[in-house]
Amino acid sequence: MDILLVGGLLLLVMMVLLAGGVWIAMTLAICGWIGQAFFTNTSPGNNLFSSFWESNASWELAALPLFIWMGEILFRTRLSEDMFEGLRPWLNRVPGRLMHTTILGCGIFGSVSGSSAATCATIAKVALPQLLKRGYNEQLAIGSLATAGTLGILIPPSITMVVYAVAADASIIRIFLAGFLPGFLLMALFSGYIMWWSLRHPDLVPPADPPTTFMEKIRRSGSLLPCTALIIFVVWVLIAGYATATECAAYGVLGSLGLAAWSRSLTWANFCEALMGTTRTSCMIMFILAGAAFLTKTMAFTGIPRELAEWVTAMQLSPLALIAVLTVVYLILGTALDGISMIVLTSAVVLPMIQKAGFDLIWFGIFIVLLVEIAEVTPPVGFNLFVLQNMTGKDSNVIAKAALPFFGCLVVCIVLITVFPQIVTILPDLIMGKGG
Amino acid sequence: MRRFLDRLYLASAALGATFILLIMLLMIGQSVAREFGVRTGAINDIVAWFCAAASFFAMAHAFKHGDFVRVTLLLDSLSPRTRRALEISSLSLASVAVAYLAFWANRFTYESWLFEEKAQGLLPLPIWIPQASFALGSLLLLVAVLDELVLVLRGQKPSYVTAVEQRHAQGDFSSDI
Repeated sequence: MDILLVGGLLLLVMMVLLAGGVWIAMTLAICGWIGQAFFTNTSPGNNLFSSFWESNASWELAALPLFIWMGEILFRTRLSEDMFEGLRPWLNRVPGRLMHTTILGCGIFGSVSGSSAATCATIAKVALPQLLKRGYNEQLAIGSLATAGTLGILIPPSITMVVYAVAADASIIRIFLAGFLPGFLLMALFSGYIMWWSLRHPDLVPPADPPTTFMEKIRRSGSLLPCTALIIFVVWVLIAGYATATECAAYGVLGSLGLAAWSRSLTWANFCEALMGTTRTSCMIMFILAGAAFLTKTMAFTGIPRELAEWVTAMQLSPLALIAVLTVVYLILGTALDGISMIVLTSAVVLPMIQKAGFDLIWFGIFIVLLVEIAEVTPPVGFNLFVLQNMTGKDSNVIAKAALPFFGCLVVCIVLITVFPQIVTILPDLIMGKGG
Repeated sequence: MRRFLDRLYLASAALGATFILLIMLLMIGQSVAREFGVRTGAINDIVAWFCAAASFFAMAHAFKHGDFVRVTLLLDSLSPRTRRALEISSLSLASVAVAYLAFWANRFTYESWLFEEKAQGLLPLPIWIPQASFALGSLLLLVAVLDELVLVLRGQKPSYVTAVEQRHAQGDFSSDI
């Protein structure tokens, strides 16, 4: 039987199972089993054990629960209130004024949290009622919160990046470093759009808060210091190379616990809730990774990705055309799948193709994270839409429409990093040296 | 029986959570010890096993709690009858798949014990000890999946659906990435 035909058959089975509501991790494993049992001479049972065991008993992966935990702790503190109050006095003279708290807040929270939905929920919880109370445009606020929330997975630490690094066998720290500049670029694009919008609709921007003195501003921002210290600490540890990603995550957890204790929001109940939530989320991700590891083994045995990569090469697509095709594929996948599943589902097949076409795996990681960000704000399935739907009571399609201009910013960012891949690679190359 | 099972899932997940706590403490301990020039290579092996144990022990609870992701796009648009039929078929398929997983996890771990296999790495512990987390965790997951299948066959709504609905109604999205 033609290998590509086998691949097509497995894809069909996968789509039927997924559509029927079978859990994603199990679907991956079932497809892996079918491939091995019928089209190879290996023993699927033994491989199943070793894929599950080896993928989960991994020292690298231990960073995942810790980064999730860090976000879970901070999610339960007063951090977002402090952030709003601390940022407020500085933004009076910028066109768009307090609207920028959504972008800055999400950016700052994103650099201590690795989850998009959590970032969106944390910042929206505080910023949205405050902005609406002051008469800021609701549509712009909702759209910017929905999309800026996705900064959580682009600005390190990022759960999505850890998963990608494990799936692609790339260095976690390297891909974290690669996320900084695109993250800043995206924030600049978002803020730029808000300024442009505000200059065009001056009548829709409420008046500024009464002016404050410089010392008053500093005093109000004092509450931001602990969080800033935590960010600087985590970033510094990553860049200076003092610690591995896992150690960095462990200190991040310690710092977050300290921060929570300092703001008096660390209770025993909170602590347990955060830890149990962490356990469930990391278990869910690791279960998917295990299922995907088994499917990857099947792929290696059957040679489907190699065949597919050759097939793609034979089509003589230019690298840019390949990226364009992949963008469309991921956009379609993103309408129904969550980001983590999207990455592990495709990595076995897409990564060999990408490497053969001469793309850098780190660059592709950032590219895919940006596409996941888009997926988070596209209906019908986008977690950030659900978060805001829940908070505002508006239909998710309305929210998606409000997010459309910011969606455009994401597309611009993807185009920019494709045209200038240095935006992604320069920081890791500078700090860690080329290659590796 | 109901209360016993629910407590069992929760206790197992709490054990998993403890392993995550231990990972954090070990990682910090390791970095401090390294500063004092203590060799701590074996800790990396332990952390890897703890990482696996944290995930395997929590599987049953995470499944019941609705944390395992699935595509609900189609399910949500179906009539309750068709949806129930699909839930039953998904759960039946999941039961077979997890039973297969549990069988191999236990068989492999049993063989490691039988042949007294040692872990490769800096800590030559009998490998069946860390592998037992996989064996036990997968058995418990099988119990949880069968538990759900029985519930749905009896005409109840699956608990993984109700759990998610409740969470989202309260505005808790912390388990969505």
